[in-house]
Order: sequence, then structure tokens, then C-alpha cells
Amino acid sequence: MSTSHSKKAKAFLKDREYTQWHDATFWGARTKRDNMAFGLEEWEQLREKASAIKRHTVSHLDQYLEQFSDNAAKNGATVHWAADAEEFNQIVFGILKGHDVKKLVKSKSMLTEECGMNPYLEARGIEVVETDLGERIIQLKGQKPSHIVMPATHLSHDEVGELFEQKGISDEPGNHDPTFLTYRARLSLRNEFLTAEAGMTGGNFGIAATGDIVVCTNEGNADMSTSCPKLHIAAIGLEKIIPDYDCLAVFHRMLARSGTGQPTTTYTSHFRKARCSDGEFHIVLVDNGRSDWVADPDHWEVLKCIRCGECMNTCPVYRRSGGYSYSYFIPGPIGINLGMLRDPSQHSGNVSACTLCNSCQCVCPVKIDLGDQVYKWRQKLQEFGTASKSKKMMCDAMSSAFGIPALYDAATRSAHLLNKMPHGLVHCGLNPWAEGHEMMAFPKKPFHKIFGELEKEEKS
Amino acid sequence: MSKREDILKKFRDNVRVRFDMPALDDIKAVTYPDPLAQFVKTSEAVGGKVVELAPAEDVNELVRRLFPDATEIASNLPEITIANRNPDTVPDAQALNGTDVGIIRGELGVAENGCVWVPQTMKERAVCFISEHLVILLPKGRIVNNMHEAYRQVGFNDSGYGTFISGPSKTADIAQVLVMGAQASRSVTIILTL
Repeated sequence: MSTSHSKKAKAFLKDREYTQWHDATFWGARTKRDNMAFGLEEWEQLREKASAIKRHTVSHLDQYLEQFSDNAAKNGATVHWAADAEEFNQIVFGILKGHDVKKLVKSKSMLTEECGMNPYLEARGIEVVETDLGERIIQLKGQKPSHIVMPATHLSHDEVGELFEQKGISDEPGNHDPTFLTYRARLSLRNEFLTAEAGMTGGNFGIAATGDIVVCTNEGNADMSTSCPKLHIAAIGLEKIIPDYDCLAVFHRMLARSGTGQPTTTYTSHFRKARCSDGEFHIVLVDNGRSDWVADPDHWEVLKCIRCGECMNTCPVYRRSGGYSYSYFIPGPIGINLGMLRDPSQHSGNVSACTLCNSCQCVCPVKIDLGDQVYKWRQKLQEFGTASKSKKMMCDAMSSAFGIPALYDAATRSAHLLNKMPHGLVHCGLNPWAEGHEMMAFPKKPFHKIFGELEKEEKS
Repeated sequence: MSKREDILKKFRDNVRVRFDMPALDDIKAVTYPDPLAQFVKTSEAVGGKVVELAPAEDVNELVRRLFPDATEIASNLPEITIANRNPDTVPDAQALNGTDVGIIRGELGVAENGCVWVPQTMKERAVCFISEHLVILLPKGRIVNNMHEAYRQVGFNDSGYGTFISGPSKTADIAQVLVMGAQASRSVTIILTL
């Protein structure tokens, strides 16, 4: 009955100390979020508004996209439309090649990860340098992000220190102090910013009324990436467009508070045009499935997501299994749902990574029904041919037993006999209910019997 | 049909229910009895420093006192006379590397989160990020309570760029330890002016 997630989670859990550290670290982010959220009386009202704005915007995205694209073009930006990942990569490569770019500095973008842009460009001779410190660390390590906001948090400072020594970024072997390592990375990245011919950013928001691309960072790397080179490419998913500044104010107040427990990110930068007269500003709007997903009555609301990452921090399963236990590049509750929309045959192994505790949808700043959606996906596994066969057999057996009251009664009345079975027999690999913990003890008196007796007592 | 029309048509065809825009003018957003005091408090909480320029004080002397070791000072502000680099006249952005202190002007401060609105008013905006230490001159009468008020007031000029800055560049990407000075300014000092 093991799913791809549960198998990987099992391996993750072998290191108890590490698991505890991982759990506590992300719970720390949740606690910081709570301090921020409880500090604002209007927090729940903001969540209501944010959800309603997104429902409106996503369901009118055709209009807002037109408006955005027209205004961005009026500002002097070149707007491109990509139907899928392949088209996106081709467009970006085309722009870079047209400017004879050899090195691209880029700030964090989960969209470029989704499209596999870095390997595509690298295979065509363009050096891509990630400039968010966490992203740079995992790029140097040859890994993928384990979290959408804190991509390298799974690594210890010793691992980062050793990596920097290997890559020649640090020249003091054994000095793994985070402040020192951050400073060494700063020097190394500074050189990249100064010598790159192009800068790329993602976009947290696109503003339809003004044509702005809005990018939020703490490090200032998006601004460094776009204030030295003359060519700026912004990559943005269709669903990131919002109507205007009044709406932006609502999301701005929630994004950092939810994601990292800060009142704001350090930088909130608005880009409307190329930074100089001989520069260029290109915006690539990417569909890659989004216009299909909006048709799904059960799951279209994932398009409301502002990628704050809080659903991962709060998720008891994410905290105790880590980002790499999920098969989709975005882990946690939002990743389970996005992966299923992308390809259920590939990513059904993640829907087990949920206890249905619904903590995610209680903290989601735009109120996506993340846990409910996971439940709905589970009901469809049969359809995708990815349901567990043994679970199916058990369910079939249970439904026939529950369909015959006499059989059901006999089973519950005699269940307690199982308590006396030899421990080894009950706790063998065939019984999934005794995996990782003790098998529960069956009561001598089943509920039906207790209930009947109470009823009798009440009558007499 | 163009790519744009293809995608828009697909969206139009696939949307099932269209929802109305909610009212936003009923948001009961936080306000403060003394927004300036709150702005100072929040700025310090996010790692920034706030000093007030005394009525008779010269801003150049104040900057000198705050950064006695600075040798490379960049600014295009007319009242800054100690600058030896000008972001309007440097040959390129790269020439601003190695700036010890960059001095710029902010237009608006936000009490709830310490954000200062900085529209681009120089040729090379790199000065706002590349400087080791950033000094922002901000009129103390220009503090608003929250982002709703801020976004109703931000001014955008022809440069096509503006940013909110709240404290120094920071990261916690290595073992969740907070470090000031990731890729941009290692410190931010806001000088409140009249």
C-alpha cells in the first residue's frame, strides 16, 4: 500500500534527530506567521478579501490579461505569450541569443523551474546564475528546491560551508559560520551581477491597470539582476495578474506575513519599462496548463495561489517528510494539488501525503481549499488507474461486510479476540494498520452493544 | 489567430463561473495614534536605523558622523555636497560598485512595515542596491499608516521603476540564521527631514 511519497518519507524519517530539526524549523516559520497574523485585527478580513479578489480575477483573467498586456506594451515593454514550457524556453533563448548573451543572472522563479529553463539554456551554451542565496546553493549542489520560499533550508551550515570550499567561494576551510558564508556568497555573486549581459526575474504580481511587474525579495537580488545588465526578461504565470494597486495592497500585506512571518519583504520592486534608452524589457506570459485548469470545477481555485509557501510550513506531513519526498517540483499541500492537475499518472503518489487535518486551508492567505482538494483527488484515483490494489480489495471486502448487518455484528463482537493473537503475527508486514506504531486494541463490547444497553437503561 | 488570442480564447471558453469583484473600501486596516513613532519602531524591527536631522544641522555633517570611514559616497541630490560619485554621470551601473554610502531620497514611509517608497530619480538606480550602506532622506510628514494608504499615494515618474525598501538586504537561507547584507545594502539608515 506504500505510495511514492510514503516510501521516501520512510527513508527521511530514519534520521530522527534531523526529522525533529526539520519539523521544528518549519514550525518556527508557522509560529512567526501567527505572530504577524494575530498582530492585525483585520487579518481574517484580509483573507476573505484576498480570496474574493482572486476568485474574481482568475474568473476574469481573459480581460485582465488583455488589459495588462496592452498597458505593458504602452509602457514600452515587449510582451510574449507562451502556451507551454517548450514555447517559453524557446522565447527566452531567442531573446538571449538575439542579444548575444553569454551569462544570465536570475532571481528566484518557480516558473522557470516548472519549465525546466535552466537546463534548456545551459544545453545551448548560456551560463545561468541563480542569485537568490538559497537557489544559488542548491544550483551549486546540483539539487532542486526543497521548498518554494526557503529552497535550501534542508541543508545544514556545515554542508553549505563544505560546498563553498569545493566551489572556491570560501577560502577559509572549516569556517561554516552563516554570516561568513553569506558574505563570501555576496562577493562571488557581486561579480556575476557586474559581468552578466542579461537579468531575469519572476513576478509575484502583474498589475493590469498599470502594466507593472512586481517582484518581492529580501536579498535585493532581483534589483541587482536588473540594475546592472541592460536586458531584463520577466517570466510570469498567467494567474499572477491582478487588477490594480488597491488589490496589490491586500496581497502585499499578506505575502511576507504568511510566507516568512515578516511585515514585508525588504524590497517590493515595480518594473514598467527598460532601465535605460538602449535597454530592453521583455515580459513572457506563460500558460502551460493554466487555461485548462480553470475549467476544473473541483480544482480551479489553486490558480488563486500567491506562492507564499505557508501551507508547507504548517503541514505536519511536509515538516516530517521534507520537500524531496514529493514527486512534483512543488511540494506540500499546494504541490500535491498542482501535481495532480499537471499529470495524475505521474503524481498520484503524493495524495497520500495528507492527514486531512486541513491546517493548510486554515492558514492559506487566499483560502484555497487545499485539504478538501486532496480528499477529492483521492476519490478519483480509481479513474486514473493509480489507486492502491490492496486498499481496493480491503474496501471491497469491507463494503460487502458492512452490507450484511449480521456479518458486521458478528465481526465487531469477535474482533477483540484479535487482541490475544501473538504480537508478531499481528505486527507482520501484511497489516498496514500496525506499521510504525502498535496495533490498536479492539474493545470487548462493540459500540452497538454499549449503545443498546444505554438505551435500555434510559427506558427503565 | 495570434498566440495571445489563442490563449485568451481558451481561457474564455474554459471559465465556468465568473465571480464579482468584492468591495475593498470596507477593509478595517490598522492605523496608529502616532504613525511616525510606529514607522521608527517598525523600521528598527526590520533592521533599519532612523535618525532625525536637527533643525540647524547639515545633512552632510550628519552622514559624515554616521559613516566616518566612508570614502566613496554616491548621490545626485543637490543638498549632498560630500558625494564623489554621481549616479547621473557615471559611465555605467558597474562604475558604482565599491560605493561605501549611497544617499537617495524616499517619498513615502509606511508605519505598519517600515517600507519607504523610492521612485527612480537617477540615471543608474544601481546606487540604491550596490552601495554597502544606504541612506534614505525622508520628509517626516510623509508617513502613512498602511499599504492601502501607500498604494493610493505612490508617485510613478517617467523612469518606469519604483521600489519599496524596508531595512537592509537580508537572508536566512543558510541554516535559517538571519544575516543582514545578502546581495544589496548591508545597512539602511533613514534620515528624517522637515
